[in-house]
Amino acid sequence: MLRRLPEWAVTWPKLTVALAIAATMVFAAWLPRMRTDTDPKNMLPVTSDVRVFNRQVEQWFGLHEDMIVVGIVRDAGLFDRAALDAVSRLTDRIVRLPGVVAADVTSVTTADNVVADAGTLSVQPLLPAVPATGQELEAFRRAVMDNPMVVDRLVSSDGRVTAIYVPLEQGANGKEVADRIRTLVGEERGDLQFYVAGDPVARDTFGSEMFRQMAIFAPMAGLLMLVALYGMFRNLALAFTIVGVAMMATLWSMGLLVAIGQPVHIMSSMMPVFLMAIATDSIHIFNEFYFRLREVADRRRAVLETIETVGAPVRYTALATAAGFGVLVIGGIVPVRVFGLFTAFGTLVIRLMSFSFIPAVMMLVREDRLRLASRRESMEAGASRSLAWLGGLSLSRPRAVVVSGAVLLAVALVGLPRIRINNNMVRWFKPASEVRVADAVINEQLGGSSLLYVVVSGTGEDALKDPAALRYVEAAQRDLNQEPVVGKTTSVVDLVKRMNRVMLDDRPEQEQIPDSREAVGQYLFLFGMAAKPATLNTLITGSAERANLWVQLKTWDAGAVEQVLARLEAYQRAHPPPGLRFAPAGIAYFNLVWNREVLRDMIRTFLAALAVVLVILAVSFRSWRWGLVSFVPLGLTILLIYGAIGYVGKDFDMPVSVLSALSLGMAVDFAIHFIRRYRQRLADDPDPTRALLWTVARPGKGIMRNALLFSLAFAVMLFSSLTPYITVGAFIIAMMMLSAVFTLFYLPALIVLFARREPTGTQAPARPGAVNPVAGHGRS
Amino acid sequence: MRIRLALVVIAFVLTWAALPGGPRRLLAQAPAGADEIVARVQQAFYAPGKDMKARVTMTLISAGGDKRLRDLTMLRRNGTGGEQQYFIYFHQPGDVRGMTFLVLKYPRRDDDRWLFMPALNLVRRIAARDSAQSFVGSDFTYEHVSGRDLESDRHTVRGEEQRRGKACYIVESQAQAAAEYSRKVAWIDKATWLPVEELYYDVRGELFKEFTADEIREVGGHPTITKRTMKNAKTGHRTEVVFADVAYDVGIEAEIFSERYLREPPRRWIQ
Repeated sequence: MLRRLPEWAVTWPKLTVALAIAATMVFAAWLPRMRTDTDPKNMLPVTSDVRVFNRQVEQWFGLHEDMIVVGIVRDAGLFDRAALDAVSRLTDRIVRLPGVVAADVTSVTTADNVVADAGTLSVQPLLPAVPATGQELEAFRRAVMDNPMVVDRLVSSDGRVTAIYVPLEQGANGKEVADRIRTLVGEERGDLQFYVAGDPVARDTFGSEMFRQMAIFAPMAGLLMLVALYGMFRNLALAFTIVGVAMMATLWSMGLLVAIGQPVHIMSSMMPVFLMAIATDSIHIFNEFYFRLREVADRRRAVLETIETVGAPVRYTALATAAGFGVLVIGGIVPVRVFGLFTAFGTLVIRLMSFSFIPAVMMLVREDRLRLASRRESMEAGASRSLAWLGGLSLSRPRAVVVSGAVLLAVALVGLPRIRINNNMVRWFKPASEVRVADAVINEQLGGSSLLYVVVSGTGEDALKDPAALRYVEAAQRDLNQEPVVGKTTSVVDLVKRMNRVMLDDRPEQEQIPDSREAVGQYLFLFGMAAKPATLNTLITGSAERANLWVQLKTWDAGAVEQVLARLEAYQRAHPPPGLRFAPAGIAYFNLVWNREVLRDMIRTFLAALAVVLVILAVSFRSWRWGLVSFVPLGLTILLIYGAIGYVGKDFDMPVSVLSALSLGMAVDFAIHFIRRYRQRLADDPDPTRALLWTVARPGKGIMRNALLFSLAFAVMLFSSLTPYITVGAFIIAMMMLSAVFTLFYLPALIVLFARREPTGTQAPARPGAVNPVAGHGRS
Repeated sequence: MRIRLALVVIAFVLTWAALPGGPRRLLAQAPAGADEIVARVQQAFYAPGKDMKARVTMTLISAGGDKRLRDLTMLRRNGTGGEQQYFIYFHQPGDVRGMTFLVLKYPRRDDDRWLFMPALNLVRRIAARDSAQSFVGSDFTYEHVSGRDLESDRHTVRGEEQRRGKACYIVESQAQAAAEYSRKVAWIDKATWLPVEELYYDVRGELFKEFTADEIREVGGHPTITKRTMKNAKTGHRTEVVFADVAYDVGIEAEIFSERYLREPPRRWIQ
């Protein structure tokens, strides 16, 4: 069928174009129903263990999944009427914002504080009213600095910074709430600085920014590509065709994705860029077409011959790319599977277009213009000449060339183990960005914006009223505080100690755990009678079977959570707990699991995809040796890039892992084109050296064009405000250029050394009606 | 047969329910101002009789279904000029057994509260921050237990309707003084002057608490809410309260409401 398709398209070009557009419109008709999901959290389904446990913990302790932290800084110190007035006013206004859990907003004006005042026990907000006199201000300062539950959590130890903790309702958008808070803050006058931080801010800002920037950069990249294509082919219609094919493939796969009811997730939002990358492969068709136009008088014949020559490699690259993405389906992460599946589908659409829409357009474009433009195309032209020189170098000293490759490989392999698998969403923003600055301020001055819960479970009711259990928690907590990334820990132990001190005439030496279980129980009961129930509940369950140890971290690094948990385990090994179990939870722990599950899953599937591509290469060339040789440029490119990531010390994070998948789709193309074309050439010209030189110069030009074009288009991403996009841009440029150069430089040497005498079936003219149905093997 | 039986039962219940309320219903015919209604509610809800004793069990139920019990004896005595005294003895949970709690309530002034902690053998005075504080960790606040000053809210009658099978006034109260709510809508039974349902709205105007009177009984001539529920609409947490062994005008002595009795609870009133 595919063999007749180009003929049919060439015979009925207008109908073909009309059909392609009509089909595209059918798919596009679904797009208005598009639902987006900008929450990276949803990479793990709500039914995943960590999310189920986190929900359970939230229920036990009346917690909220997401919390924004508003940092307020006054360099001259916060103990000032106007400053405290502002904090109080801001708290009142934040409480009224939609999406905020009004009852649980915590600031100095709402936080319950246990104090003893002239023999009277009082649980009241730290700051019930803004002090009127200097004396009262001083008293407030003393009350704050004297209270370990407040210092570093609500007020920094130098008295310059305070925080408002703003829990969000289920499903509230962190960016929207943060934006509203920023508006409120903008209305404040005076010498205060405000910082809005926290995981929901970073996450939701990133989610929405990602969609926004995709909407800016995908069209910009497309436009730049269009300009570059025009520069190469001097024909606007043809330039439009490549970009048009990418757009059609995007509309088809996005339309289908929406039609089956899937939301467009962060992953799939990147599909347009990926498909645009894959669509550039069509350049090889145009490249060959221009060469053919100079050699063949009849346009129809030139088109058909072009398709016949380039068809096989184009089909194989499509297959390899589609298989590479298709393999993502075996992974465990649903949005990644959806992304893999639909990108594979888009790849196949692009190939379908290559054999129908593209030849049809070639027939419709004005012939005189085409011939005029193609006149510039010749093997003797500058670019082809320097490529031929490169090929000559590779052929004349093949051993030296291969050794240089081996050296590169060794260098890459040294860098590889240095890669740190780590994800830190805050670092997806530039250092000067609002999100990152705010986070830095809170992490430096206060306990930290990243929150880890350690749930301590005992056996049976009231287990955590046992003084022995509390002493163990106290010691474990003290040990955790030694960890540099830990900014602050808070638990029911701190509360019990505080109560003990306040009940016993507020003597500082009484800040300790009482000896009897009854006393602990009565303290907690008393606190529960006097304070907001939520305050106690966030630290211990009503049954006192479980307690919650809050660990504030100074970084969002997943690795930091790992360190803390490792330390906790080491402590438990060294000091066996008295019937207590510790289990991590909370957003910081979620990020760790997300990091492990999503990234490890990506790596696993990526390795599987590499293997599949290798098998496809071997099958398509019907030889392991050829398969391996053609795998070299891809393998070397990937290893070098990851080696470089290891050297530079950049984390292997989410964006980098997504790019691995892209590299599959792209880097393998060049080798396939090169070897296929070389072997076709051998059939006409049995001298391998001459054939190789020809391949480097003629299809090689298409390869370089493809690489340059794509690098250029993606260079725009270097100007993004999100670091992952900068990474994407740099990565794609490196990948395209490296794999193109490696293909043209190493393949000739490798072929001379290892594959020259390899008998291959494809060297003979292919039998009609391809034997290998999967690969669409042979020239058609 | 069964239907006829059901009809007889219904008729009986209706008659029984209507009889004691008869005179009050006549009173209700007189047009009532909002403040007057609320004043009557305060009297009927928080201050019937000269004194009262009751065994109160509070079940605190989390959204997940976990239950915790508060079992206490409550003694109340009305003083002069709107003053009230409360004495509370905790039976459960176990580790607070013997804890006692004294509240002296004054109109238009913060309460005085004292607590005895048996584990430390210590009486401590507890500051009353505001009456919107939770009562023993439940969804009820101190105000729900002992009432709120009439002047702390602006009251408006919003109409009359049947609610929970009772002819009710709808009274809306806008908080003027500090409160956990910004607005409260109450359905007041015209017959008993007891609220059968109350909805509490927070600063954003969102519903956050629902009160329902689940059982109203006549005790010693005073209609009394013997089963009530307060539910937090935001968290799903709720507290169910049962008043058992309610007795009015039993002659509780004034001196019981003192520090001495906190340490040595009066056996006579606390079984």
